[in-house]
Amino acid sequence: MKIKIRKSTYIGIEKIEARWGFYFTIPAILFFSVFSFYPIINAFYTSLFDKMTLSLAKPKFMGLGNYIYILKSADFWNSIRATFIFTLGTFVPIVVISLLLAVFIMMVSRKKVRGFLQIAYYTPAVISSVVAAAIWMLMMDPRGLANQLLNFIMNTPGTDHKWLADATMVQLSTMIIYFWKYIGYFVVLFITGLASIPPTIFEAAVIDGSNRWNTFWRITLPLLKPTVVLVSIMAMLQCLKTFSTQYLLFQGGAPKDPINVITLNIYTTGIRNQRIGRASAMSIVLFLIMLLFTWLQFRTSKTEEVEY
Amino acid sequence: MEHMAALPNEKKRFPWIAIIRWLVLVIVLVFTLMPLVFMISASFMTSRQIVRMPFSWIPNPIHLENYVKAFQGNDMSWIFPRNILNSLIVSITVAITTVFIAAITGYGLAKFRFRGRNFVFMAIMATMMIPFEAIMIPLYMVATGLRLQDSYIGLILPFLVSAFGVFQMRQYLTTFPTEFLDASRVDGLHEFWIFWRIVFPNCTPVIATLGILSFRGQWDNLLWPLLITQSEKMKTIPLYITKFSEEKLTDEGAMMAVAMMASIPMFVLFAALSKYFIGGAAVYESRKG
Repeated sequence: MKIKIRKSTYIGIEKIEARWGFYFTIPAILFFSVFSFYPIINAFYTSLFDKMTLSLAKPKFMGLGNYIYILKSADFWNSIRATFIFTLGTFVPIVVISLLLAVFIMMVSRKKVRGFLQIAYYTPAVISSVVAAAIWMLMMDPRGLANQLLNFIMNTPGTDHKWLADATMVQLSTMIIYFWKYIGYFVVLFITGLASIPPTIFEAAVIDGSNRWNTFWRITLPLLKPTVVLVSIMAMLQCLKTFSTQYLLFQGGAPKDPINVITLNIYTTGIRNQRIGRASAMSIVLFLIMLLFTWLQFRTSKTEEVEY
Repeated sequence: MEHMAALPNEKKRFPWIAIIRWLVLVIVLVFTLMPLVFMISASFMTSRQIVRMPFSWIPNPIHLENYVKAFQGNDMSWIFPRNILNSLIVSITVAITTVFIAAITGYGLAKFRFRGRNFVFMAIMATMMIPFEAIMIPLYMVATGLRLQDSYIGLILPFLVSAFGVFQMRQYLTTFPTEFLDASRVDGLHEFWIFWRIVFPNCTPVIATLGILSFRGQWDNLLWPLLITQSEKMKTIPLYITKFSEEKLTDEGAMMAVAMMASIPMFVLFAALSKYFIGGAAVYESRKG
């Protein structure tokens, strides 16, 4: 009803405006239809067929056959396991440690030091993930720096920790590489969150005789909760999509099974083995997992509003 | 939080917390910077120097020939410069198109009231939930169907604009004063020129963060070029690194020289525009609002 009243008052300019607003969004509408909506629908459609890239035979409709196949295949469950282990083992330390570092940095009284620490921590996030993997692969070489340092710390001279050869160690290595690359990024996110808490609240706490420990647990953390939830889910979504690190390590000769994450499996199934139908079914499963987490993000960010 | 630095009730005690705090900060600092320093010094070393125990951080003697090897490749094809050029072409184009299309779409969504506007906005936001990894196979089939493999258009097309960019621009432009727009309309300026001359030049902070974000996204992109390129001369830097690191003949020092060449442009950008990099990370924070 409101809209009608407005229209009758400003009829001319409103109409011209409306038309141009629509014209301006046309390129984006076209783009997202062709490069986002069509492919996801197409992925779902293809996942119902027994489709191969180079096969000339008409793909056979097989209903949920591909889904049944992948849910029965040990290889796919291994990918689910690898993805979730990587995600848990990466995002939990990232969130906890970056929060801790952000609080520590904010306690530094000199502004220049704070700025320097932020920039220094952030630097690994600037280089590409392929470069990050390449550096660490060289450091994790049997004769490399990682062994030397760990042997120095643990006092075990001459031991090879098999960073890239052992099934457990290679999973840990991917986590370390990812952690190294993104820690600074999450520190910056938390610092932004911390900086948005009005300082008067801390002043009030100090006047009331609260010590630092209590201030952190009773004031900072509850006020920061929405940021923590948001950043956790963001980190989780990012970890679920990991590809480059695992791909590079696998190409470099690391054992494949422990690091065969879903994205890597989609790539090998769809592109190398040309089983497009099966790979599409995996894509849809990945999409649904991420949708679930995004939905969680929306739900929590709605209910977790904080008022200062 | 900085106000907490001067809490009165902690001045008397021995500063255990401060010591632990600085210890943690310094250990993490060493952890983040060490691999970068390793890359820099190893890029001037021979393989033998790199694996020497203990590792000497300052290369002595300095081996500049690693950089020559990096450029010529193991097969002496000198394809690396071409791959750097490809990465630059793709990243710069994507940064420009993303900024421009996101700005015009965000402007359309923020400042005009047309039917279906909210639906369009919600639909664009919904695409953020679709991970690229889930649609790469259909995209690959479309691209091969259109014979776009091994072309710049094929490399660029799926990344012309990002939903997040549209969101950012829209949020920024909602606060843009409408009076300016109306004044220009009264002056008879065409709607497109209003956008181009008045709105667009006033989005600089978003243009910078979004441009950097998109540039970096493509500079880092491994997956799509891996699917879409076939010939060596169309490959991008991440693919060159992957290939180079796989080859048996590869010299570790040369490998790090390649890594350096891939990182220097980003380091330069970061040094010049660090506030937009860090601001770019921070805008994700505003998504909750």
